[in-house]
Amino acid sequence: MKDPRDVFICRCEEVTLREIEEAIEEGYTTVDDVKRITRAGMGLCQGRSCSKVIARLISEKTGIPLSDLLQTGYRYPVRPEKMMVLDNDGEGDE
Amino acid sequence: MEKTYDVCVIGAGIIGLSCAYYLAKKGKTVAVLEAGGFAHGASGSCDDMILFQSKKPGINLELAFESLELYRSLRDELDSDLGFENYGGMVLIENRGELQIMEQFVTQQRNYGLDVEILDKKEMRRRQPLLSERYIASTYSPMDSQADPFEVMHAFSRHAGRLGVKILYRSPVTAVEQKGQGDYLIHYGIGSSLRALQVVNAAGAWAGHIALMVDENVPIKPKRGQILITEKIPKLGETNLWSARYLVTKLSSDYVIESTEEERQLGLAFALTRSAGSSYLIGSTREFVGYDKGTTMEGIRAIIRQACSTVPILKDVHFIRAIAGLRPATPDGKMILGEHSSRPGFFTAAGHEGDGISLAPVTGKMLAALVCGDSLNAGLKELSPDRFNVRNMEAV
Repeated sequence: MKDPRDVFICRCEEVTLREIEEAIEEGYTTVDDVKRITRAGMGLCQGRSCSKVIARLISEKTGIPLSDLLQTGYRYPVRPEKMMVLDNDGEGDE
Repeated sequence: MEKTYDVCVIGAGIIGLSCAYYLAKKGKTVAVLEAGGFAHGASGSCDDMILFQSKKPGINLELAFESLELYRSLRDELDSDLGFENYGGMVLIENRGELQIMEQFVTQQRNYGLDVEILDKKEMRRRQPLLSERYIASTYSPMDSQADPFEVMHAFSRHAGRLGVKILYRSPVTAVEQKGQGDYLIHYGIGSSLRALQVVNAAGAWAGHIALMVDENVPIKPKRGQILITEKIPKLGETNLWSARYLVTKLSSDYVIESTEEERQLGLAFALTRSAGSSYLIGSTREFVGYDKGTTMEGIRAIIRQACSTVPILKDVHFIRAIAGLRPATPDGKMILGEHSSRPGFFTAAGHEGDGISLAPVTGKMLAALVCGDSLNAGLKELSPDRFNVRNMEAV
């Protein structure tokens, strides 16, 4: 690899360290803002691993405490689910 | 002493950012105040559509034409592809009753200049081989398009920034005071304030609250739309899809569809859009539940049931996220755009409901012209905030 900044931070959406650092430098300083700018964390795993790396990168660059940046709570679905699981008339207890 | 700007835009959704960009292009100094983060509201929780087929002949359709042209040229102007795609769209028809209404509607739209036609079952299935057998026909328009709201908003922000626009996130407006003619004092965040000669209220579903701060009436209600996002999958068909089921009830008030109480509560209507990320966005509900923008199991389940019955192969597809946005809905289905005549210098640009992405460029461009006092076509009068002004109505 030519430049270590070309490493993927979000593998699902193929977002590189460079793109994330650029977003932070542009002034987007929450995990959510960086996600909406770069798509990092929007893919299949929904940021399960990259969101923590992104929080750390923001913290390092801005001095915002890491604890203020880490995401709390996830909403349904917490992992990818086949649609057929909910495609029934019962109460979804398959 | 507070910093003074020519214009303060309240709200950094796609509408506010478009307004800020076009104002800066006209040489105004602009500050944008946003309560949340980037794309945190309805603009970032929508299904990307620049939809023509849902629009009745009239100002909404006319503005959509203008906006589409602007999107095409903005790609060069903003140096971004904007996630712009032109897949075209089909509205799916289930029975004779729907077909009759849609045939009339298509004729009206064609007379108004929209490129749209009815396809028979064979041609519909050629373009959408994975559709359920129950659809008997569809419409088709090559004009239906889409843009990636995140790309559009980022591009507007970047270029507005280069023109000197200051965008302040996590800065909710707490009060707006008119100190004199062309002098507004805007309080935001915790004890901060700025001054502006003019104010643009682009606060979407919250525009009514902002207007109240200066005793103005903007009757916008939040309408919640829940949407599901699938994993990345190959293209399912040639175009984006909608069902006629919801549209026909809006076109013909005496047409009754069979639906359950739950479906009516949820205001469910099928929409399938291929997103910029190669996933699909499946919508949507239309619920009046105040400012609650949570997703619900009832909503998710209803969207899935409808999607799987329309395009059965979706049963085997994973959904990875559910989102919800509060669409700013007006009583007459038209956006609110213009200066409040009883509050000179205070403008509203809000109330696009499901047309925010569609109409963002044209809204920003017209708003900037209005703020600068340029004369615009007379048709814009029907969008004026004065149409809801009780004092005006009493005068009539």
